[in-house]
Amino acid sequence: MATEKRDKEEEEVKTDDGSLKIKPRPIVQLGIFLVAHSPVFSVVFSAAGVLALLILPLLAKNTYISENALMPGSARSMLSNRDVSDGSKLVKDIKNYRLNHEGQGVEVQKLIGKYMSEMGAEVYYQKFHPEGNQFHPLHFFSGPDSYTLLDNVSCASYGVNVAGIIRAPRGDGKESIVLVTPYDFINGGDYEALSLGITGTLFSLLARVTWLSKDIIWLVADSRYGDYRPVAAWLTEYHSPSFKDSDLLKCGELNTADKFRRAGTMAAALVLKVDGRSERFEDTLSIYAEASNGQMPNLDLINVVNYLAVHRQGFYVKVEKVVSLLSSSWLKIIGEIFEAVGKLAHTLNPDWNFGIPTADYLEGSATLASSLYSQALGIPTGPHGAFRDYQVDAITLKVSPRFPPDSKTRQHDFFLRGAKLLEGTIRSVNNLLEKFHQSFFLYLLTSPSKFISVGVYMIAFALLVASLPMVAASLYIDGCKALNNSTLNPAGNFKSWKWLDAAKQVFALHLFGLIVTLLPYFICQVPGQHSPSNRSIMWGTTSSSLLLITFATIPGCSPFSSRRHGTNWAVLKSVTISAAFIGLCLMSIINFATAEIGALLLVPTCLIVQPIKPALRSRRIKSLLGAFCSMVLLTIGFPVMLFAISKGLFGEGLVGLSLGGEFWTWLESLWAWKSATYLYIGMVHLPCWLLCLCILFHPS
Amino acid sequence: MKVLTLVMLLCYSFAFSSGDTTIHTNNWAVLVCTSRFWFNYRHMANTLSLYRTVKRLGIPDERIILMLADDMACNARNEYPAQVFNNENHKLNLYGDNVEVDYRGYEVTVENFLRVLTGRHENAVPRSKRLLSDEGSHILLYMTGHGGDEFLKFQDAEELQSHDLADAVKQMKEKRRFKELMIMVDTCQAATLFNQLQSPDVLAIGSSLKGENSYSHHLDSDVGVSVVDRFTYYTLAFFERLNIYDNASLNSLFRSYDPKLLMSTAYYRTDLYQPHLAEVPVTNFFGSVMETLHTDSVYKAFSSKTSNNKINSEMPLNQLSEHDELQKANIQNDELKTEKQKCPYTQMRVDLHKKLEKLENVDTVVNLGIAVMLLVVMVSSSLL
Repeated sequence: MATEKRDKEEEEVKTDDGSLKIKPRPIVQLGIFLVAHSPVFSVVFSAAGVLALLILPLLAKNTYISENALMPGSARSMLSNRDVSDGSKLVKDIKNYRLNHEGQGVEVQKLIGKYMSEMGAEVYYQKFHPEGNQFHPLHFFSGPDSYTLLDNVSCASYGVNVAGIIRAPRGDGKESIVLVTPYDFINGGDYEALSLGITGTLFSLLARVTWLSKDIIWLVADSRYGDYRPVAAWLTEYHSPSFKDSDLLKCGELNTADKFRRAGTMAAALVLKVDGRSERFEDTLSIYAEASNGQMPNLDLINVVNYLAVHRQGFYVKVEKVVSLLSSSWLKIIGEIFEAVGKLAHTLNPDWNFGIPTADYLEGSATLASSLYSQALGIPTGPHGAFRDYQVDAITLKVSPRFPPDSKTRQHDFFLRGAKLLEGTIRSVNNLLEKFHQSFFLYLLTSPSKFISVGVYMIAFALLVASLPMVAASLYIDGCKALNNSTLNPAGNFKSWKWLDAAKQVFALHLFGLIVTLLPYFICQVPGQHSPSNRSIMWGTTSSSLLLITFATIPGCSPFSSRRHGTNWAVLKSVTISAAFIGLCLMSIINFATAEIGALLLVPTCLIVQPIKPALRSRRIKSLLGAFCSMVLLTIGFPVMLFAISKGLFGEGLVGLSLGGEFWTWLESLWAWKSATYLYIGMVHLPCWLLCLCILFHPS
Repeated sequence: MKVLTLVMLLCYSFAFSSGDTTIHTNNWAVLVCTSRFWFNYRHMANTLSLYRTVKRLGIPDERIILMLADDMACNARNEYPAQVFNNENHKLNLYGDNVEVDYRGYEVTVENFLRVLTGRHENAVPRSKRLLSDEGSHILLYMTGHGGDEFLKFQDAEELQSHDLADAVKQMKEKRRFKELMIMVDTCQAATLFNQLQSPDVLAIGSSLKGENSYSHHLDSDVGVSVVDRFTYYTLAFFERLNIYDNASLNSLFRSYDPKLLMSTAYYRTDLYQPHLAEVPVTNFFGSVMETLHTDSVYKAFSSKTSNNKINSEMPLNQLSEHDELQKANIQNDELKTEKQKCPYTQMRVDLHKKLEKLENVDTVVNLGIAVMLLVVMVSSSLL
């Protein structure tokens, strides 16, 4: 306090003196310096942001088990041949039954249930309605499935899950571990049945071991209606019991009323799937971890599985990657440059070992891109996503054996190794005393054993958006000066309100964005069956007419109005950039990957965009180039265009002219999974894109 | 004032002259495992192994305070219910019959540990949970758990610092709760825990130096955890060769630690401990080996011993008295005693007995001493 006062006095003395200027604090000086040189710094920061993103594969660290209690692989496997033959018998029985019987019954479920109860487990069946998720604007971010209590359900289609619970012999019954094997009881192939074999083998063992401290639940999910839905339905019933008898319970010959059983809170869940034949010499294990809105399970769970699979059971472990990036030449060149720089640095100082071979860099980048993309999309990559909604750490393990499904001899070995992997993982989780909490929740994977933590990957985003407030401030100052020069009217004393006109326009367009975001809900309410393309056309027309109405009703909003006293484009751009900055920062909290990819598109567009008319008038190469760049960026930035490009990038070619329909389906999937990316596109990206368009065609 | 100082002097003399000369009459052991959780199985196994060893070497259960912070035997994750092993061969169940755990689970706290050492208990605490040692006790204090630089973690929630330990030992010494104390610690950076110790007659040994970790010895792949720490494992290996009649010295124990096998350097602090380690049998701490002494009459040895003590205790007061010669004799006597009070125990006893026989005029010495004391008191009070 005292020093502050003295400072003030000193300042006053200096100002009274008149000749001396107040010396601002260093931080203010730095700010003024940055704002004054904003064009240079904005380019430097944006370039650094992109470079930081490219450099991420180099900064990836090796994963490590950070929870002491896990101790993976410290216990010897107790699986015996008897367990394996139990599992093989189950698979054989199911196959035989499926060969001899056709139809819709629940006999296969009963077969599995019988196997479970023979093992000494508590068995029950659960019926669920395959009703998919529907878009409701109010259900974003709300608790999972608050709308499942449907009153008028038909018995026409429903699925039946089987679940068995092994109680821990000396456990306290407060915790459980969940094993999920999705299986289509009607159309399931031979490979799918193998997952039942592995889990059956494991279940046979777990039923007789003495070391369980958590109950084991084995859920055979009826994947007739997709993998996700049965698991989600089971989880809903597990966590929010309904005390009203649903009509569904009485459907069919199987009465499942009052049978639902529970174990304690779930410590972890493992989803096991077997599909296809491995392309490699070894059996392949793919790990899927992304849940809705870029949420990840604790890294320790992935580490345990990866450790056991690689070092104990000899699986080839992989995570998803963008295959097309592996062969891209520009990325290869970048990788080579990084390798050369790394080598150079190593010769300068042998302690600098950040260089990695180009091939590793390519692998890392492709995996990182896939990791970023899956997180940004906000759609879970498997049934494990349903668990994340209840804060349960879960991953999907997809195993591809290297043999055809009818090879008996290989099958025995495959069951043994698969069950050993699961046994080791379960024993590790069984050792846990608390929820997973030691390791990271916010990370990106660059390989199954390498990760980038939040502290590192935030840098790229921070650098990208850092230029926005700087440029906004400098533009605002420029805009105010320009206004003062052009309009020397007495209203000039409302100097600080210059931004209000621009803010009105920005607000109007954001409001428009909100309405466009909510429109699909009403379009879905339109009676009658409509194809996705029809719906998208409906959506497009209503949106564009709404946009015209907005331009017409709100004065000074339209880019085509020729009124001189419209808003100054510099101030408009300044406010637009501020809005984009706020939107991106908010999004980075909700889903970092979306914000990162969004920033990659939005930041250059916002920075580069300028009115096209003066540029065309001046006919200077530099301004023409700027105008061309902004045109290109704006074309790419249109969400539908973006969707088409990303489709092309990921090698899923477009199906002719049904772009609108595909886009609609894509968005439908986004809101069905309650992905915040949808909100981001509607409420941040679209308005900012429109505002940039306004600036581009600004009549100045 | 002077009276007060005198009285204090008197007390002081009482307190200090007697401790060194009392003979070793009993043995106690305080065995502490400070860590919870299943993955710390080995700490409980360490403690139970030592419990078994000291019991085998003769310390009775009522003189062992066993503190176990968690119950591994009944943990649901234990593949062998109600059994604890310290070796993967599973030959020896440490948690068999007759294991008396005095403090278990959440009772094992720093507070309770310090209460045990210093003897400050609530009235309701039963005798079995108290360390009822006296000035003739040899105490073994064994601790294991997770430690660091000058601290030992208790229960994952609190920690015992080296200051706390030193303070507790000091209090014990002042309260004459031990004759000799041996502290054995198996934690990471165990040596740092002894940094603040100042009290005499304390021998300390730790499993590792500052900056070193103490490692587990091996993993039991059936139980799925490490079952014993290296330092304790090799300590036990040393004791397994011994029986109650063996005369192995502390020195041989300390020499048996090989830094290569331990993967850390065992550290022992002897500056507070006078006797030569080579002459102290390990059973002085890890066992309870008492020589029985045949006396002619029931009370004679006892009474002569107390009178002898009294003389010693009054020595500082009598320094200017006329009984110089006698005192010299006494002092010599003392020296002789302390010299002889070493390993060949019976020999010393016999010598002492002979000396006592020679001292005919014990009673007169006492009476004279009291008279002089009274005189001094009177003079000083009159001066006041």
